[in-house]
Amino acid sequence: MDKQQPSSFQQLEKLGEGTYATVFKGRNRQTGELVALKEIHLDSEEGTPSTAIREISLMKELKHESIVSLYDVIHTENKLMLVFEYMDKDLKKYMDTRGDRGQLDQATIKSFMHQLLKGIAFCHENRVLHRDLKPQNLLINKKGQLKLGDFGLARAFGIPVNTFSNEVVTLWYRAPDVLLGSRTYNTSIDIWSAGCIMAELYTGRPLFPGTTNEDQLQKIFRLMGTPSERSWPGISQLPEYKSNFHVYATQDLGLILPQIDPLGLDLLNRMLQLRPEMRISAHDALQHPWFHDLPQLQAQLQQQQQQQQQQMSGAYGGMVPPQQAY
Amino acid sequence: MAYQKRPASSYQPCDTFFVESYDDFPAPRMEPKEHARLIARERQYAIADELSKITSEEFRDDILAHMLDMDTATLPDVESIDIQTEIQWFMRPYLLDFLIEAHTAFQLLPSTLFLTINLLDRYCSKRVVYKRHYQLVGCAALLIAAKYGDKKDRVPTIKELKSMCCSLYDDDMFIQMEWHVLQTLGWTIGHPTVDNFLQMAVMDCPYDAEVEHLSLYIAEISLFHREFVSKPSSDLARASLALARCILNRTQPRHTEWASQYDSMTLVGLSQQLHQPSQVLSRKYSSAHYSRVSKILEQFLARQASVASYTPPSPPSDVVPAESKPYEGEIGLATPQKAPQSSTMAHGYITPPITPENEVFANGGNPTFAKGVAGTSACSPSPTPSPSVPYTGAPSYAQEATYQQQYLQPQMSFSTGY
Repeated sequence: MDKQQPSSFQQLEKLGEGTYATVFKGRNRQTGELVALKEIHLDSEEGTPSTAIREISLMKELKHESIVSLYDVIHTENKLMLVFEYMDKDLKKYMDTRGDRGQLDQATIKSFMHQLLKGIAFCHENRVLHRDLKPQNLLINKKGQLKLGDFGLARAFGIPVNTFSNEVVTLWYRAPDVLLGSRTYNTSIDIWSAGCIMAELYTGRPLFPGTTNEDQLQKIFRLMGTPSERSWPGISQLPEYKSNFHVYATQDLGLILPQIDPLGLDLLNRMLQLRPEMRISAHDALQHPWFHDLPQLQAQLQQQQQQQQQQMSGAYGGMVPPQQAY
Repeated sequence: MAYQKRPASSYQPCDTFFVESYDDFPAPRMEPKEHARLIARERQYAIADELSKITSEEFRDDILAHMLDMDTATLPDVESIDIQTEIQWFMRPYLLDFLIEAHTAFQLLPSTLFLTINLLDRYCSKRVVYKRHYQLVGCAALLIAAKYGDKKDRVPTIKELKSMCCSLYDDDMFIQMEWHVLQTLGWTIGHPTVDNFLQMAVMDCPYDAEVEHLSLYIAEISLFHREFVSKPSSDLARASLALARCILNRTQPRHTEWASQYDSMTLVGLSQQLHQPSQVLSRKYSSAHYSRVSKILEQFLARQASVASYTPPSPPSDVVPAESKPYEGEIGLATPQKAPQSSTMAHGYITPPITPENEVFANGGNPTFAKGVAGTSACSPSPTPSPSVPYTGAPSYAQEATYQQQYLQPQMSFSTGY
């Protein structure tokens, strides 16, 4: 792993900045290949951050077409540099620049969701929870491929599933059971995030843009209905449960997502189940009839993409690269 | 080494572990509110178990396959460790004792200990380690293991580790060694540990604390022995579990195919290493938190020894501990575990843990018992020279006390520096 030197890569513009790392675009001096360089500053006090240890060791185990590849780890005096495959944009930026006010077309949505669920299924089969799925952490390349990135919060889980911290997942994509204080969440938390992302692909806006834990729960209940001990046995035992939650009736998600077809709506509803045990698994979601016409759609999509690729490569020089999350 | 001699409170992170009660800090009476909260938490655990089961059923096969792959991909190579020039096998138990004490003091998860030892041995399979750096490698392994899998607020700080090593190493050395271990192992840290597999093997059975704790104890004893260093964790987990059930006189349930298969040679090997466990380990497992399984094991071995040196007029009833349940319920003579046991241990290394108390036995002249005696004497239960000597409390690794004095002295000084 230590064959490469930092000097093997030409550092280009900054792509983004995270809490513990900065991401640059880079070029392999020998091959000319573009890469993403994630620089992690080493804490002189406590050595290698645990996030880096988890991220690197987990990504080394997870080799899949829907997960961003980690090529190399380079260590310098006070920095750790992770070399990732280069992706053009994150999904957030992609929606901002490509869609009609952020909304994407049916074929693209279906293709992205399929790839997202494939990546999630692969993680779960290899006992890894991503725990931070959101558009900023999903990366898109010019071929229309979507890949899971930023495994900084990911971790391996055991069977049976052990307890974890509930400080995971960006608030807007956080599952209601986690918001209610459950620490024994499992694979279903990634599915909730996937559901939120699917709705966002249709509208271009986050589905539940809460400001605080309580506000987040309220926004979820307003749409999905307030759960009770009857609809969710055991809910009152969760630490953050309040008996005086405002009671909302369940709304039809189709009303806020007029573009969605009935099959897509069915899948979305299965992903956005309040009760974690009712949420569909990634594996089952991939078998959902909504995906049955994917091959035909993908053929169309490929044609579109070829056209777009030509356009993009033309405009490439002047384009400001988006924030990226690796 | 006795913990009682040390003021437990002077060492911050571990003061709850070593003392059974606080004299100066009486527990306040439980408020009804608090009580309700505890009940709520219990219910929540039950719900979580249910939820975990659903996930488990769905992913079990995939995850198990992945774990087994990772298990073989992350095995230390015992023969490479053999050719180390400075560090010797006899030094390892001292280091392990130190790491077990540190692990206990920081209240880390069971899997962190197994992962630590795995990282240590894998590093020693790949790099030449100086005697003076052996403990440093151990500390770096502990640090990485804790960062990888443990709770964030439990991860030891370098300052704490340094103090545990009596400032033998600088802060920088920990950071450098941590880096070197990561680099040497190619950042592949996700070794599935014995206790991961153990949890998987017992998940379909009703919870039995004694069985789980004794399995864990046996698995930790195995860490001390060269013959198990290159054994896959999945094998050790299943053999430890089977042996624990055997000792505790439980049936060997047939649940999933994977969990009920175990290698009888591994089991026999484990059964031969139970006689002189590390004192640090036996003390750790003598707490109520671990169902006092080290005591149970001692009593079992003492019973076995007395059966082996059986002379007719001395029924060893005084050795029978209160905890032991030689015959549960009304099953009487038909010991439930008999069938699987005799099939897996044809050579009689472990005799059934039965000290007869029934009238049937007291009346004498019963063939079953005599057969048991014959079985043991025909085949010595362990390589220990004097199996009849119970746990004496003498240092187990008598050979080279100088090594400990010279290099691992710091382990004596947990309480200093805080």
